[in-house]
Amino acid sequence: MALPNQQTVDYPSFKLVIVGDGGTGKTTFVKRHLTGEFEKKYEPTIGVEVHPLDFFTNCGKIRFYCWDTAGQEKFGGLRDGYYIHGQCAIIMFDVTARLTYKNVPTWHRDLCRVCENIPIVLCGNKVDVKNRQVKAKQVTFHRKKNLQYYEISAKSNYNFEKPFLYLARKLAGDANLHFVESPALAPPEVQIDMAAQQQHEAELAAAASQPLPDDDDDTFE
Amino acid sequence: MDDLEKAIVISFDSTDSALKSQAVSYCQQIKETPSICSICIEKLWFSKVVQVQFWCLQTLQDVLSVKYVSMSSDEKTYVRKSVFSMACLEVIDNENAVRVVEGPPFVKNKLAQVLVTLIYFEYPLIWPSVFLDFMPHLSKGAVFIDMFCRVLNSLDDELISLDYPRTPEETSVAARVKDAMRQQCVPQIVRAWYEIVSLYWNSDPDLSATVLDCMRRFVSWIDITLVANGVFVPLLFELILSDGLSDQVRGAAAGCVLAMVSKRMDPPSKLSLLQTLQISRVFGLVSGDVDSELVSAISALLTGYAVEVLECHKRLNSEETKALSMDFLNEVLPSVFYVMQNCEVDSTFSIVQFLQGYLSALRTLPALKEKQLLHITQILEVIRIQICYDPMYRNNLNSLDKVGLEEEDRMSEFRKDLFVLLRAVGRVAPEVTQHFIRNSLANAVKSSSERNVEEVEAALSLLYSFGESMTEEAMKSGSGCLSELIPMLLTTPFPCHSHRLVALVYLEIITRYMKFIQENSQHIPNVLGAFLDDRGLHHQNVYVSRRACYLFMRVVKLLKSKLVPFIDEILQSVQDTLSQLTTMNFASRGLSGTEDGSHIFEAIGLIIGLEDVPAEKQADYLSLLLTPLCQQIEAGLVQARVANSEDFPVKIANIQFAIVAINALSKGFSERLVTASRPGIGLMFKQTLDVLLRVLTEFPKVEPLRSKVTSFIHRMVDTLGSSVFPYLPKALEHLLADSEPKDVVGFLVLLNQLICKFNSALCEILEEVYPVVAGRIFNVIPRDGIPSRPGAVTEEMRELIELQRTLYTFLHVIATHDLSSVFLTPKSREYLNHMMHLLLYSCCNHKDITVRKACVQIFIKLVKDWCAKPYNEEKVPGFQNFMIDTFATNCCLHSVLDKSFDFSDATTHALFGEIITVQKVMYEKFGNAFLMHLMSKTFPLVHMPQDLAEQYCQKLQGNDIRGFKSYYQSLIENLRLQQNGSHVFR
Repeated sequence: MALPNQQTVDYPSFKLVIVGDGGTGKTTFVKRHLTGEFEKKYEPTIGVEVHPLDFFTNCGKIRFYCWDTAGQEKFGGLRDGYYIHGQCAIIMFDVTARLTYKNVPTWHRDLCRVCENIPIVLCGNKVDVKNRQVKAKQVTFHRKKNLQYYEISAKSNYNFEKPFLYLARKLAGDANLHFVESPALAPPEVQIDMAAQQQHEAELAAAASQPLPDDDDDTFE
Repeated sequence: MDDLEKAIVISFDSTDSALKSQAVSYCQQIKETPSICSICIEKLWFSKVVQVQFWCLQTLQDVLSVKYVSMSSDEKTYVRKSVFSMACLEVIDNENAVRVVEGPPFVKNKLAQVLVTLIYFEYPLIWPSVFLDFMPHLSKGAVFIDMFCRVLNSLDDELISLDYPRTPEETSVAARVKDAMRQQCVPQIVRAWYEIVSLYWNSDPDLSATVLDCMRRFVSWIDITLVANGVFVPLLFELILSDGLSDQVRGAAAGCVLAMVSKRMDPPSKLSLLQTLQISRVFGLVSGDVDSELVSAISALLTGYAVEVLECHKRLNSEETKALSMDFLNEVLPSVFYVMQNCEVDSTFSIVQFLQGYLSALRTLPALKEKQLLHITQILEVIRIQICYDPMYRNNLNSLDKVGLEEEDRMSEFRKDLFVLLRAVGRVAPEVTQHFIRNSLANAVKSSSERNVEEVEAALSLLYSFGESMTEEAMKSGSGCLSELIPMLLTTPFPCHSHRLVALVYLEIITRYMKFIQENSQHIPNVLGAFLDDRGLHHQNVYVSRRACYLFMRVVKLLKSKLVPFIDEILQSVQDTLSQLTTMNFASRGLSGTEDGSHIFEAIGLIIGLEDVPAEKQADYLSLLLTPLCQQIEAGLVQARVANSEDFPVKIANIQFAIVAINALSKGFSERLVTASRPGIGLMFKQTLDVLLRVLTEFPKVEPLRSKVTSFIHRMVDTLGSSVFPYLPKALEHLLADSEPKDVVGFLVLLNQLICKFNSALCEILEEVYPVVAGRIFNVIPRDGIPSRPGAVTEEMRELIELQRTLYTFLHVIATHDLSSVFLTPKSREYLNHMMHLLLYSCCNHKDITVRKACVQIFIKLVKDWCAKPYNEEKVPGFQNFMIDTFATNCCLHSVLDKSFDFSDATTHALFGEIITVQKVMYEKFGNAFLMHLMSKTFPLVHMPQDLAEQYCQKLQGNDIRGFKSYYQSLIENLRLQQNGSHVFR
């Protein structure tokens, strides 16, 4: 499953295809895993980056070759050709951009046309952003198609391992498989909390006559 | 292999980046050649390399979808014939031809996609026979049937299914294709499905399942009688009920029945369709191995059926049909409950929504039958099972680690809907619900199963949630079995009480059901026991003991004087908690915020502060509590003075907590008790205030201390009333010394409280304080206020904005409490100008309309105060001119003329009201001087026509303020039109 010029390994490895609209954070997501970033093989000719990500499970080490299929033209390139022999997949959308969720069914269809019956995880990325457009309750697609859904935040590493753990369990056919050590992740990026900022502004703009404190401790914390 | 084939293989698999790059661009180049279609088709007939096959099909699909219109009709015919021959393996000349339909699924699916692209452009006009052409080949065997199903599935995915976003063009093509198929070939296709399934179900179950899965997709838009009839339905049920058959076929058949059941139809026809199915035939299939594919398919069928029956019941109106649908519902419900309780339910089925619907149906009935009461119990059982935690999280939830926290959050979100359902059940059948809760509690307590912690927690949570919907009356009287349940709860030892979740919900329940205890005070000792022993304050889990502090305070608030007989007992029990909390180092206290334990001091304060406590005892108790706390503060001050920078924060935190504790304690003492009936108590608080003010003297710059002491002063203002006066100068002096902008905010809030409480009695103090405050503030706030800029606001800027906001309130409070003379003392005078400018600027420009309104109100008051008639000499020289000239022009005219002044906005409308008032007041006070100035100076500025100006004066002089208001609004709107954007204000 590895690109042939990539070093092969003597432990189980799986081809994982990552799809989703541009800008949903697919690349950021795979790059959180530091060993993957270190060993990644860029394939500019076919517009896909393949990152080998290793995980340590109670049954030994496993590797996902993550095919990050970014930036492809409509007419040209291999497009769904990359999915051939995919053994599992992640469909990514951005919870702050509704359209990227609307396109999830199409990504799923295109994936299933090439890879029948593979385990698939749906990931709603960027949940760290307060101003989301797709609320958790509105995400229902996975239920219709029997996918697993996770909310993730690539920037803050939130739930980074969950999709991989689910896929590893499915591929191994072992619901109790677990990771015994955490992969090295890039540290969460500190972000200015714009949402809190906006709320603050709104509060500042509130009524000028401020009520007197009645329960003082709360007011003066 | 020729060059193209090599290039394709290389672009998929090569190791050499440069070579691969070359290969990809070579392929791309080929793709651009005019003969690309024939190149691909040639390759498809002869190449056995799957990559080549896939690439060729993908390229064909690309070319068709992008260039179809520009292709010649010969080329189109060639592509159509060739592709169809591949799909049906029609003989071509060459014996060695490759059979694409026998390749891997991804190649077959790609071929189907190419065919569907042709259908998109050519069916039914150019290629009307595509589906009919397929039919004869189906008899040739499984390969052809499989391919036909792939084409139909692809048609559904790419064009028809509503699951994907479609362009308007695609939608209309889909309608065209469906219409043509309905007319032309759907009956034949359905017959083919029937024949294939009848023929193959025994010999090739997988193929039959494929056909049935394909058919399921079409049921929603084809004539339902083609499948829901005396031929097809028996076949489907025969399959479903065939014991020896694979789960896959049986499940696929159930899927088809579900598609029929879910088809959108008129309720009467739907009801008769549902009737013909005799669904009870499959009830027996949901049992045993609940994880099997068959069981989940049947479960989905049953839940889907139940949803439709319920919908019929809701939409049908005749007695007969309502009764019939209710009968169906009663028939299917036991199985549906079994599914909900034992199986993974179908993901499109919402348990809560369905059960809510069922309850609504029950509410329309005059009385519930025995069967329905049984169903109610089943609903409750479903809820109970659903809300149970998984024992695997038990330890995580007890220690509340990261996993536990996540699970608790998830569960509390998940429980929300279920608890809404529970309360709905409780309203429909309160007795059944109470009995259910009692029984599940009793069972859980007795149970020795592995899940007993989770079961007890679930049962308690049911009781807790149920209480939310209980009326006060029902709770007081202990209706139903409540009067038995609560005492049982108070006296029954739970084996798992040490678990955080159990202990927490237990205490929450007692607090929620306090109304019952209030009416039945014989239970008070037991309640106290629950809070004071190791179920509450002395629980081993700190989350529980801290929460117990808070809940105990709530309980005390409700029981109050009923607790007087127990004071000694309570004080004795909490002694160790109190001293533990105060002596503990802040760092090891762990939890902060509202769970810091200080509520226990509030609880104690509430008890000992009661008038029912004899005066002497009260003084003893209070001194018993205050003395060590004050000592702790004093000792802390000594230690903090010599502490190194590492220890210092800890010492400060200890002092801080003691202040918070004293503050909490004092909340229980009313002003009347402290000042009138028992001044001795008041004296003790005054002495405490003395001690706390020393904190300010010692560490004026330590922010947490300053804010805690300020809080305490707030409290003492309320409690001690005017007897706090002597302390104010010193307190205010300390608070004001060296204060940063954000400290001044706290200070202003305190002054606001003082002004509101003491009104003009505060005049003298304020005259001293105001110049200092004003100097401090106007030093940092510019005359035009803080500019509001888009983008990031620094912390410092935020503090200034906050300060400015509080300043407006402060000035407003001063003005509206008849203290405007404070602005005029000799020491204050120098700030008058700055203040006026700031207020004027804010009246006209502040982005917050409510601030603008408040500022206008200040001016109204100032005019009233400073320009009282009759006057001989001006009280504030220049003020009248300022108002008539600057203020009237800028605020009353220009700011309103600005287009951003939105009359349709409610807040702005209120501001407009104040602007009207201020004009009236100015006219009252300044009389003709005001009018003259308007006519001669102000109005000409905006080119106001003479007649309108005169009308204005008339209206202003009249008594009809509402009339004046609407007149002025129309005047402004006229002027805006007249300027028509030519004159931009400000």
